[in-house]
Amino acid sequence: MTTPRELLESYLDDALGESETARLEQELRRDEELRRRLLAVMGERDRGEHTVGAIWRRHRLSCPSREQLGSFLLNVLDAGLRDYVDFHLRTIACAYCLANLADLQAQQQADAAVIQQRQQRVFQSSAGLLRKR
Amino acid sequence: MSTASDRLLVQQIRQGDERAWEHLIARYEGRLFAFIHRRIKDQAACEDIVQDSFVGFYTSLPNYDDRRDLQTYLFTIASHKITDYLRRTGRHPLQQTADEGGELFLHKLAEQTAASSVARGQERRELESTAIARALTNLLDTWRKQGDYQRLKVLELLFVKGWHNKDVAKFLDISEQQVANIRFAAVKKLGELVRADGLPADVFPELHV
Repeated sequence: MTTPRELLESYLDDALGESETARLEQELRRDEELRRRLLAVMGERDRGEHTVGAIWRRHRLSCPSREQLGSFLLNVLDAGLRDYVDFHLRTIACAYCLANLADLQAQQQADAAVIQQRQQRVFQSSAGLLRKR
Repeated sequence: MSTASDRLLVQQIRQGDERAWEHLIARYEGRLFAFIHRRIKDQAACEDIVQDSFVGFYTSLPNYDDRRDLQTYLFTIASHKITDYLRRTGRHPLQQTADEGGELFLHKLAEQTAASSVARGQERRELESTAIARALTNLLDTWRKQGDYQRLKVLELLFVKGWHNKDVAKFLDISEQQVANIRFAAVKKLGELVRADGLPADVFPELHV
């Protein structure tokens, strides 16, 4: 199957999941024609052209809410929505929702102290910015 | 769109409230970390990029329009930081291409989401984007309320993944005719909604019936 244009658009938006990104980058390394297509898409975006798919992704029109992702993890969504969320995560491989899901899973599983320490490091190294105001 | 809670946090941060800054970090650090870790497996590098992303957000606060979704904005900043990091460390896959394209790709990647001087104009683009997003939201909400996730899946595969009708049909185990019918009805409805917003639907080739 030819690489769909929307896959290239998603790549430029950094909206692909881990395995899709890796697969596409591998193809880009060996396929000059694909690199040319990617450049052409970049040119079109530079000229202000956009696609329905890009707008859909940017506005996250079908992304489940973080609360729904939490309920998905707890397996308490109704069957129809659960099936859809599973599709959105696995088939659409939405990078933003996968990141949220991974975060929620980490909160459930990991040592809360480890996460807190990490966040404290970010805070301590950046809070000075607010004091400089 | 940002939540009221996010807007309040941003407002407090603008006033120099350190507690609000700490809350923002607690709210978004984990998902940013996971987003970055998808591309960069080095733990320490991930933490540095998360930190750079927050600093980037703070620096860009004067230009941040808090009607924009905060999470999406933070992901966009993180995405730029990932590209910068891969480029700086010589690990961006496209840097390894032998032809002249590698550097050009990277240069363009870096500027893709920057403020652009687009030929058709940023304002026009925003109008189109808003109209399409509103029309799609209208359509998708109707289907969601009806519990009709099949149509949603069909349209998402067609528009977001760019799959062909036959691939969508095979994947969802329905006929190509069903996919074509769903596409036709959706495109017709979207076209009507976009035209009702005062814009021509033919800006988007995907909306040609």
